Amino acid sequence: MPINTLSDVEFGEDLPTFVPDTSLATGANFAKLVGWDGPRFTDHEAAKKEGLAGAMIPGILSQGYLIAMIHNWAPPAEIITVDTVFRAPVMADDAHTITGVVTDIDEDAGTVEIDLTVSNEKSETRVFGTATVRLPT
Amino acid sequence: MILDLHTHSIKSDDGRAKVENYCKWVRSKDVPIDGFVLTEHRQHDFESDYSALAEQHDLVILKGSEVETEYGHVLVFGVTEALTEAFDFSRIDLPLEMVLETSEAHGAVAVPCHPGRPRVGMFAHTEELGIPQGVKIVEIYNGGSRDNEDKIAIDNADELGYLGIGGSDSHIVSHIGRCATAFRQDIKTMDDLVGALKSGEFEAVTFKH
Repeated sequence: MPINTLSDVEFGEDLPTFVPDTSLATGANFAKLVGWDGPRFTDHEAAKKEGLAGAMIPGILSQGYLIAMIHNWAPPAEIITVDTVFRAPVMADDAHTITGVVTDIDEDAGTVEIDLTVSNEKSETRVFGTATVRLPT
Repeated sequence: MILDLHTHSIKSDDGRAKVENYCKWVRSKDVPIDGFVLTEHRQHDFESDYSALAEQHDLVILKGSEVETEYGHVLVFGVTEALTEAFDFSRIDLPLEMVLETSEAHGAVAVPCHPGRPRVGMFAHTEELGIPQGVKIVEIYNGGSRDNEDKIAIDNADELGYLGIGGSDSHIVSHIGRCATAFRQDIKTMDDLVGALKSGEFEAVTFKH
């Protein structure tokens, strides 16, 4: 059930797992739209020539997925910060999942803090971070 | 007594966890640890005082450091001001053998961490640089390492006769306690911890799966 107000949130609750579209086609389209039309985002073989394992998903698209995940869980949430650490690239055409869990509720400020983790099929953490979001009280 | 010997807070450049939230998480989620050691990257946090939080949540909260050497990252327990003056904790190219020797000379214990990982782990460098002298303990369970990386750590530690500790290497709240170290004796202070590590009476534990 979507979260609408701060009182709906429980400390430690898991957000619904989000499966981002990490296809090469989507990553490449996004890269072109934002002016990052480099081979590392659009072409596996060309990316390998740059020393990468393959084409990767642009970081800001991954951050967008994190925000989408939060809004799927709590549509009225106002995202105050999303603070990410990219431990490893999110590889295009590899399946990933995003998990989130509420780690703090500040009733005075009307905010919650969420741990976010992007993992691949091998359960390797590729990106982690935290988000602070404000919810109606 | 079980302690997570490897955690990071917002004091680390890539840490995103507030210590208070670690405490709340451990207690509300029944994470099976009795405390944790904050091992901030390339520094030692002399300033922060977590004693009130520790008391409030009935947890042991201690402070160590994680420094960087040519063999990868190394946890240091028992850091003193004199030790931080003996070598520059902020450098990323410290000689491992110097860190081990100097730590020991100052009554501290240095432990290569996540040694099975590429680049930042000791065993990624032993073929090229040789087996370093002075290592007694390595981190064999690391919450951020892949299973095959922990296996490299365990296998090499067995072969070389090293003891093993565990730590979550948590950078966000919900990752604390994934791995830890079980001690026979009660540990309340850093001196207790250093003594327990020197005694060799501990065992690495993992709760990753």
